[in-house]
Amino acid sequence: MLKFLKEVLRVGEATQKYPFAPAEICEGFRGRPEHDPIRCIACAACTSACPANALSMKTDADAGTRTWAINYGQCVFCGRCEESCPTGAISLTKDFELAVARKDDLIKRAVFKLAYCRSCGAPFAAAKEVEYVGRILASYATSPEEAERIRANAEVCPECKRKLDVEQIARSNPVQQMETAR
Amino acid sequence: MSNEVAALKGRLLKSIGRSIYVYRVDCGGCNGCEIEIFAAITPIFDVERFGIKVVPSPRHADILLYTGAVTRAMRMPAIRSYEAAPDPKIVVSYGACGCTGGIFHDLYCVWGGTDKIVPVDVYIPGCPPTPQATIYGFAMALGLLEQKLKETTHVEGEDESVPLIHPGVPYGLRVALERRARRMAGYLQGRACAEAFMGALEAPEPAQVDMRITQLIAKEEDPRRAEIFTQLKLVFTGMLA
Repeated sequence: MLKFLKEVLRVGEATQKYPFAPAEICEGFRGRPEHDPIRCIACAACTSACPANALSMKTDADAGTRTWAINYGQCVFCGRCEESCPTGAISLTKDFELAVARKDDLIKRAVFKLAYCRSCGAPFAAAKEVEYVGRILASYATSPEEAERIRANAEVCPECKRKLDVEQIARSNPVQQMETAR
Repeated sequence: MSNEVAALKGRLLKSIGRSIYVYRVDCGGCNGCEIEIFAAITPIFDVERFGIKVVPSPRHADILLYTGAVTRAMRMPAIRSYEAAPDPKIVVSYGACGCTGGIFHDLYCVWGGTDKIVPVDVYIPGCPPTPQATIYGFAMALGLLEQKLKETTHVEGEDESVPLIHPGVPYGLRVALERRARRMAGYLQGRACAEAFMGALEAPEPAQVDMRITQLIAKEEDPRRAEIFTQLKLVFTGMLA
């Protein structure tokens, strides 16, 4: 009995104080993914990386919007979204207090605008993504005119880009070029 | 939920005190959730200080704890245990599978979520929920703690523009550094290494870049990270040449 009491006094209290005190969370804990819609370019890299399909991206062409959503009830906290995000918009936090009484409270949404093609006027990507890509590509330009041309080129949908390329090649008359080269 | 059921549940919560009997229903989970439930009743987390006890029969239960994605084979036993529990009862849906079906949501034999077969009062997400998350969920089910998560919708404002991560580092160099670091240390640790390296590149006084990188490598205690920084330095000097 005395031996047991001695052991008890030596070990002390093992029980954690939570919920009366903040929980002890270890380093590298994977909690609720926090999404910063300001930094997000709606590129959908996270939605294709998500193994549980907790992240989703829906495009409504009529309304001109693209809606990103996360369902915390479906999330398995693997961190693949954080790994794949090119702008660091989504990252895991140490928050674990996620219990809810209403299922809809588990869902977080962000609505983004769509960009319309310069040539045909059809929506083809999120406006923020097009602007971001145009800005990065234009940073390689050597002159302001070239930067403007690159930025304008980024605002054309892939289908129109293909058509414009063909037209450009046709204008340069490849047959004649080949003959003069010979 | 009808008014009568709500009133009964309110009376249950008022009189339940510190005698909360929990029956655990496993509807086709992977048993990760069970391990965390049993971790919650160990002395370290000790839910028994709130009177929460796991009982072996639904006829003794006040709270039914549903884990797992609700498979076709388990739906009848799940409904039977719901009916066997005396009214009024509280149903808690436990884990990502219990909430929505989780990673198994589109399987052919999975109903996807406890709420497809029985009415649920509290959802505890997590894969699996930690013992602390379990305690929080139970405290919420018993009306002791407030719910923190709320449904939100952010709508893109006018002229919202995403800032570049390291505007001082040329984009081509940034891509080369991140690729090298990720190839060596994986996505998460690789990004952390690349971020630290680019932080050293970007600091003011560009003339001292070489010195700062040498310092970064010398100060690093982890030899693996130091090796990655050395490789990143090679990438950097290679791009300069």
